[in-house]
Amino acid sequence: MTDGNLFELKGISKRFVKGKEAISIFGDLDMTIKKGDFLAIMGPSGSGKTTLLNMLGGVDQPTGGEVWFDGQRIDKYSEGQMAKWRAGNIGFIFQFYNLMPMLSAARNVELPLLLTNLSASQRKKSVDTALELVGLGDRAKHLPKEMSGGQQQRVAIARAIVSDPKLLLCDEPTGDLDRHTADEILEMLQLLNEKFGKTIVMVTHDGAAAKYAKHVLHLDKGEFVEKDLVA
Amino acid sequence: MNDFYLVWKNLTRKPLRLFLTLFATFIAFMIYGTITAFQAAFDSGVELSADDRLVSVNKINFTQPLPISYVNRVRAVDGVEAVTQMNWFGGYYQDPRQQLIMMAVDAETFLDVYDQVVLSDAERDVWIKDRQGLIAGEAVAKQYGWKVGDRIPVNSNIFSQNDGRTSWDFVVDGIYKGKNAQDDTNSVYFHYKYFDETRSFGKDYVGWMGIRTENPELNEKVIKEIDDMFANTPFETETVPEKVFNKGFIEQIGNIRLILTSVVFAAFFIILVIVGNSMVLAIRERTGEIAVMKTLGFQSGRIFRMVLSESMLLALIGGGLGLGMSTLLVGGISQSMPQLPTLIMKQEIVIKALCFMVGMGLLTGIIPAMNALRLNIITAFSRQ
Amino acid sequence: MKMLSQIWAVIVMNIRSLPQRLWMSLAAVLAVTVVVAVLLSFLAMANGFAKTLEGSGSDKVAIVTRGGSQSELNSVLSREAVNAVAVAPGIAKKADGTPFYSAELYVVVDAIKRSSGTEVNLPLRGIDQAGFDLRDNVSIVEGRMFTPGNNELIVGQKVLEQFTGFELGKEVNFGKSRWVVVGVFSTGGNAFESELWADARTVQDQFRRGNSYQTMRIRLEEPGNVQGIIDTVEADPTLNLDVKTEAEYFSEQGRALRGMVYFGWGISIVMALGALAGALNTMFTSVASRSREIATLRAIGFSNVSAFFGTLAESVVLSIIGGIVGAVLSFTFLDGMTASTLGASFTQVVFSFELSPELFINGIILSLIIGLVGGIFPAWRAARLPVVVAFRNAA
Repeated sequence: MTDGNLFELKGISKRFVKGKEAISIFGDLDMTIKKGDFLAIMGPSGSGKTTLLNMLGGVDQPTGGEVWFDGQRIDKYSEGQMAKWRAGNIGFIFQFYNLMPMLSAARNVELPLLLTNLSASQRKKSVDTALELVGLGDRAKHLPKEMSGGQQQRVAIARAIVSDPKLLLCDEPTGDLDRHTADEILEMLQLLNEKFGKTIVMVTHDGAAAKYAKHVLHLDKGEFVEKDLVA
Repeated sequence: MNDFYLVWKNLTRKPLRLFLTLFATFIAFMIYGTITAFQAAFDSGVELSADDRLVSVNKINFTQPLPISYVNRVRAVDGVEAVTQMNWFGGYYQDPRQQLIMMAVDAETFLDVYDQVVLSDAERDVWIKDRQGLIAGEAVAKQYGWKVGDRIPVNSNIFSQNDGRTSWDFVVDGIYKGKNAQDDTNSVYFHYKYFDETRSFGKDYVGWMGIRTENPELNEKVIKEIDDMFANTPFETETVPEKVFNKGFIEQIGNIRLILTSVVFAAFFIILVIVGNSMVLAIRERTGEIAVMKTLGFQSGRIFRMVLSESMLLALIGGGLGLGMSTLLVGGISQSMPQLPTLIMKQEIVIKALCFMVGMGLLTGIIPAMNALRLNIITAFSRQ
Repeated sequence: MKMLSQIWAVIVMNIRSLPQRLWMSLAAVLAVTVVVAVLLSFLAMANGFAKTLEGSGSDKVAIVTRGGSQSELNSVLSREAVNAVAVAPGIAKKADGTPFYSAELYVVVDAIKRSSGTEVNLPLRGIDQAGFDLRDNVSIVEGRMFTPGNNELIVGQKVLEQFTGFELGKEVNFGKSRWVVVGVFSTGGNAFESELWADARTVQDQFRRGNSYQTMRIRLEEPGNVQGIIDTVEADPTLNLDVKTEAEYFSEQGRALRGMVYFGWGISIVMALGALAGALNTMFTSVASRSREIATLRAIGFSNVSAFFGTLAESVVLSIIGGIVGAVLSFTFLDGMTASTLGASFTQVVFSFELSPELFINGIILSLIIGLVGGIFPAWRAARLPVVVAFRNAA
């Protein structure tokens, strides 16, 4: 494994049984993600992009092949090891924000920190920093239902970065937002990538969103059809 | 913020549902606490009976009499420390429908045998010397407003005086306390001598005998000796430990324990179904959130514990309030109805209730917690 | 009429969607079932007890006891008192022209209860042929009548059911005296069937009662009219006696379990409050899960009244199902079940649980109330759901 690669997928296959039918999503997929990359994965629905993202995020595991992350093979991890790995390395940003409705913005951001050994005061500092970074320092006490979609997604971004993960995984992060707000969010991701060196993988079907990425991969029927369009 | 905060926020996010489930739990434990206190009061006669006390009754039935001569013969038996005769009086004060638990006894030996009847030395001395004196328990004295020194008439629905009157005159010489909080203070005792000299029939017979042995280990021997002594006489005796006698007496009323236990069981069953259901529902509604937490890296076991803690917390709060309410109720009932046996929220009841709360928390939480434990992130998201 | 058809449409829609909320709905039904079953158990017990005692008392028979004694056990009557009362007017005459009365003894003896194996009090009644004739519906169903002067017993049918050792032909010891069971009698299921009967003079003898009795039962010339006897008793200063009809006597004793009725209602109402919480929970959830459907109906022109009654109907239907199941369960398992408890005479009275239609209706009414109260608030919420909900996202 060459240095500078964060993720390396070798000969990945993924099959599952739906009803009586066996469905194959990937046959033999290879992929590498470099540290510091901002990668957009595009493709029509059913192309396997969400499954790919799930495997990168360690919430789904391949049927065959190997997944290497930062020099470690992770595809054979148990569920518990996987959860621990996710907590330490991955930040997730979802299409529908997925904030806890009963928690304030600050508490939502603090949630992943419960998985660390940080003290209450250290946690508060990290939360404040993350909220400032996404420009919501003054909204810390608000509940999700008291905020707009864009604000909620920014809280979600703060939650994703608060524990300083190496990789941010974004699943249609702007799918539920208007163009203007979407641009704001994408600019923020770009900033995180360029200024803070976060590696970002974003699944989207929105070409305009993909333009913010350094690279774009097109997935169709489980295979990359064109590569490195932008670079 | 910690896990408890998350559990608390989850619990309180739907106040109406929380209120309803808490209320249901509250009801269950209120019923439990109150009924168990009643049960304990019923049982207290058995529990508080002394190991070194025996009761000797006519073998045919305890309502049949024994000759008074038996008392002295029993007193001579080896291992008998004290013996007293007792006779049911069938007394009532003013209202014939309100029976007094009233017995004619031999004062000195009575106080020797029944040490849970606690009198001050002064009251004791006065009573022993006063032919027409009676002593009443705190509870019954309170019920009728009797004070030491009061002259009161008591009627009997069994006996009559030589002159045909069914009413006897008494002086309240003492108001006794119990040795333990649950000891019965509903009874009234007066002199057998006064009773026997004045009654028109049944003279020289006693109802039964109360016996104290020197040592509980001698009970068996004493029982055998007494019953053998009177075998094949017109008045055979049946002597049993006080505990056995009291138990038999309660069981005459029927299986009260079974009835009360069934009610408690039914109440718990209802609440289990209601609370269990709303927990399942609450967790199902949170499927997406649990999936997110798992995605963030929360271990399944930790989420399992959080769900279980939530149901546990619900059971403990609702149950605690219910138990508190029943403590108030029990106290109130005891205050306002002194004629009932003393109701006490005993420590055992509270501990048992706490165990039931934990059990209920587990039972109502286990299914949703298992659901949360097994929840698959991908299927959870695709269902969203 | 249009309103009714709207309501009907909503009701049908709600009830059709019940299976989707199966467990939740079942929980509500079950809660009501248990509440109604508990209520009916207590009522059936008290009802059965009262019925047994009331069935024992005839208004053609007067009962004479010592003044103030309240129960047969506590009463004592001398032979002289019995003779003095026997001449009173209003007493029916036997075929031979003598007054139709029965002087009886009532002695408590020990018996072993089958269910618990413990000693309990059973009444042994000293009686003679007149006492036998005086009671209605009395008959020997097995064996024969006791022979006067012999230590022979006949036992009530219910004694056989509830207590051991009284089977036909068995020898029974009361203290030193030995008795033989020679017959089994029936009195139509009333309290007398919980008794042992023997010859009155033999009982006087064996229990050293001399010439005394405890009660006197008198056949009345005119049912319910005891005035002649009362007048006679009052005119004689040596007599201090209570006279009442047997029906009166037993109906007073039947009240003993009235506390059971109050307790049963009390506990059921408290439990009903718990069940109500369940019903409310179910119905609020039902409204929440159907909010889009309700709003959609409203959007296409259904009135909020129909939403209200549709929801209310669901709650009431669930509750009534629960109530009926509870009533049927308690009928199946409890009706006719026998038990025994201490009666007023300090002896066991064997009685059967008895569910009557009135009790059944009580149970249904209780379930109906739970259904109405449990439905009205959620129904109110359903009626006030803003129509715009229909156009919102599924989120």
